[in-house]
Amino acid sequence: MKELNELILPEDVRYTDEHEWARQEGDRVRVGITDYAQDQLGDIVYVELPEIGSTFNKGDEFGTVESVKTVSEIYMPVSGEVIAINEELTDHPEYVNTDPYSKGWMIDVKPSDIGEMDTLLDKNAYLKLLEG
Amino acid sequence: MAEFGGYEMPLWYSSAKNEHLSVLTGVGIFDTSHMAVVKVEGPQAHKLLQQCFSRDLERCIGGSRQPLVAGRCVYGVFLNEEGHVVDDTIVYQVGDNSYLCVVNAGMGGIVAGHLLKYAQGMDVTVTDLTDQVGKMDIQGPHSAKVLIKILKNPEGAFNTMPYFSFKGSFDAMPGPNGPILLENDLPILLSRTGYTGEFGFEIFSDPRHFVKVWEMILKAGEEYGILPCGLAARDSLRAGAVLPLSHQDIGHWPFIRNPWTFALPYGIDKTSFTKEFVGGAALLKYEDADYTLPFVGYDLRKVSISGKTEVMDYTQKTIGSVLTCVSDMGIGRMDGMIYSIASSDKPKGFVPQGLSCGFVKVHKPLMAGKVIELRDGRRAIKVNITSDIRPARTARVAIQKML
Repeated sequence: MKELNELILPEDVRYTDEHEWARQEGDRVRVGITDYAQDQLGDIVYVELPEIGSTFNKGDEFGTVESVKTVSEIYMPVSGEVIAINEELTDHPEYVNTDPYSKGWMIDVKPSDIGEMDTLLDKNAYLKLLEG
Repeated sequence: MAEFGGYEMPLWYSSAKNEHLSVLTGVGIFDTSHMAVVKVEGPQAHKLLQQCFSRDLERCIGGSRQPLVAGRCVYGVFLNEEGHVVDDTIVYQVGDNSYLCVVNAGMGGIVAGHLLKYAQGMDVTVTDLTDQVGKMDIQGPHSAKVLIKILKNPEGAFNTMPYFSFKGSFDAMPGPNGPILLENDLPILLSRTGYTGEFGFEIFSDPRHFVKVWEMILKAGEEYGILPCGLAARDSLRAGAVLPLSHQDIGHWPFIRNPWTFALPYGIDKTSFTKEFVGGAALLKYEDADYTLPFVGYDLRKVSISGKTEVMDYTQKTIGSVLTCVSDMGIGRMDGMIYSIASSDKPKGFVPQGLSCGFVKVHKPLMAGKVIELRDGRRAIKVNITSDIRPARTARVAIQKML
C-alpha cells in the first residue's frame, strides 16, 4: 500500500469523500476513482458502468469496481446524465490501477448543476480527509 | 493490511491477481505464522485424539485406510457435542505418543481448552504453542526446485515424501525421518501440505529463525519469479480448490452434508462411524441440516457477503445463503468447459478471465450443474452448483515430476 506522500493527487480534479474524482472538461465532467481508492482495492478485475443516457443524483451509486477480493460501489460526484463511458475498461480494468486519472476514467457526465463541483473537495481538503 | 484472527496481515504484497497466478504456474510463499500449533503428548495422547478428532487414527491414511504413523499427517475437525465445528486442523504424528495439531489463527487456546476438557483423568499433556512456532507455505509447481537449492540434503528430504507426509522438526528434536536441515544447519519441519490445492510444502521453524528462512527462500526463488503472497490470494486459491475456511464455510452448524465429510470416520457403508468421538453421535441424528455446496460462476463477478446475501432457486424462492464468494482469476470458461491457466489441455488462445466461486449453504439438496442465483441487494449473478472448481490442480503430483 502507498504511503500518503506517495499518492498521486492532481490539482485539476475535485474529490469526494467516497474517493471519486471529478474533472470539469468544457461542459462535461469526467469521473473516476482516486489513486488512494485503487491502491486500497488492489487489482481491479472488473468495472461495472451504467448505460449511456442514465441519469443520477449526486451521491447515487452509478456502478461498481471489483477487485479479486471485494466489490465496491462508486458514487456520482455531481448530478447529471451519463453521456459517455470508458469502454476500454471492459478489456483493461487494470487501467484503473495503473492510470486512475487518465486511461482509468469511468464516465462522462452532463451535469445538471455545474455549481455542484464547488461542493467537492480540493486536493488539500481531500488529503486532510485521508490523514484523518 | 487486514485484521485476521488477532493478527495484522497483508491482503496482498504486490498484486493479489499475480500472486494467485504465480501459485498456479510458478511459485509463491505465504507467511502463515498466525496459525497456531497445539502439542498433544503422553501415553494417552492417541486416546484423547481418538475421542476428540474427527478422523479415526487407526484408519485414515490412503485408500486402504492405514493407521496414522509418525511422519504422516491428516486433515480433520474438532467438533463439540452438537457436532458443530470448534476448528479444523491437520494432526501430525510426531512420535509414538506425540502429536501436533495445527489450527487456525487465534484458535490455539480454544482448541487446547477443548481438548483438556476431555483429557481429565488421562495421562496426557496438551500445550498451546501459539506464537512459538513460525510457519511459511511455499506453494506452486516450482516449490521443490526452490527448496532443493537451500536444503542440506534435498535427495534425503524428497525421497519417499508422499502428499500429507512430513519430516524433521522445528526444535532440537530430530523429528520423524529427520532432521531436515537447511544449508546453514537450521532445522525445519518440512511437510508436503498446503492450503492452495497446488503442489508445495509447509515449513515450520523456530520463530527466531523465521525471517532468515523466508529470505533464503525468496532469494533461492528469484530465478523462478517467486512472489510473496497475501491473504487475498490464499482465499481465492483455497476456494478454487474447494477447501473450507474455518468459521466461514464450516462453523456453528452440523458438520455434515458438505464437501468435506471425508474428514468423518465413516465406515465402508457410509452410514455409521468406525469409532465414537465427540460430536459423532449428534451428527448421525440430524435430519434437516442444510447442504453446503460449491458453486462456480459464468464470469468473475461476485456478490458481497452480508446479511442481505441470498441464494435463489429457479422459482425465485430464497433457499439459503452464501458462505464464500471470491474470484479465481486463474480459470475461465471456453466452449462450455472450465479450464485453468495451468491446464495442459486448454484450447489454443485460452486466456483465463476469472470465474466467481465459493460455497453456498442451502436448505435442499441440489445436483451438480444446477443453476442458482446469488443476490446481494445490488446485483444478482447466475452460478452453477458444481462438484469441483479449478481443474488441473497440482497438489498431488509426485515430487519427482516437479524437479
